[in-house]
Amino acid sequence: MTAASLGHEPHHDDGLALYREVADIRLLGFVLFLISDCILFSSFIFAYLYMRNAAPVWPPTGVGLPDANLAAVNSIVLFGSGATMHFAMENWKHGTEVKFRRWMVATIILGALFLFGQGYEYTHINATWWGSTFGAAFFTLTGMHGFHVFCGIVFLIILLNQTLAGVYNKKQYFGLVAGTLYWHFVDVIWVFLFFLFYVW
Amino acid sequence: MTEHTLAYVLRTIAIIGAIVVGVVAIYQVRNDWKTPGLDIQVSKLLLALMAFGCVIVILSSWGIIGWQTKGY
Repeated sequence: MTAASLGHEPHHDDGLALYREVADIRLLGFVLFLISDCILFSSFIFAYLYMRNAAPVWPPTGVGLPDANLAAVNSIVLFGSGATMHFAMENWKHGTEVKFRRWMVATIILGALFLFGQGYEYTHINATWWGSTFGAAFFTLTGMHGFHVFCGIVFLIILLNQTLAGVYNKKQYFGLVAGTLYWHFVDVIWVFLFFLFYVW
Repeated sequence: MTEHTLAYVLRTIAIIGAIVVGVVAIYQVRNDWKTPGLDIQVSKLLLALMAFGCVIVILSSWGIIGWQTKGY
């Protein structure tokens, strides 16, 4: 039964109710996407664990392990970007758009800094993708994660442009929620990769 | 700057940064503790895991855990 058939004009709230209903479905879809991405990373991580367990000596002879100190700072840069993204989202919910943009820009810069740190490490590590099981796993997993960070930065730039164009308002901002969840997800994947390659 | 000094500086930055980011993450989880909604629940879980990551960074930089303490 439509609003018109009930004898009154369609109201703005009808649109909002429809948006909320669709947003719930889209949110569920997005969470399912994150779970599928989680399974993708899990399969690569288990492959790495299998190879590591099967190796007679670990780390393989002649392989230089990555610099954990540099990686620790790089990790904090990425985790810090998760915090700034959270602040951006909070500011959007409270209607302070200027602060939202500042935190978003900070998030994008920190994400780019993380990629720069990753690039620096790639050029200085004493291991190659084809040289050892460690190198293959390291470059595949961190490279895949780096690609996710790169996609996240592009995603955030698009979201920032959309907010400048007035696509979202205080009640309808599903894209920003998705962007925040994606960025936190990328942070959390790095927690596991940091532990696997720099700690364990 | 010697290699040893650089490592010390990097470790100090990592520890201070991890404490700040970890506290912020825990504070945000605490703030949203009773807020309903799937997005908030997922966000809280991810923030809590991020705080856990900060703990790992602190322990690793401190030299309590990690292969660097094993002398590789």
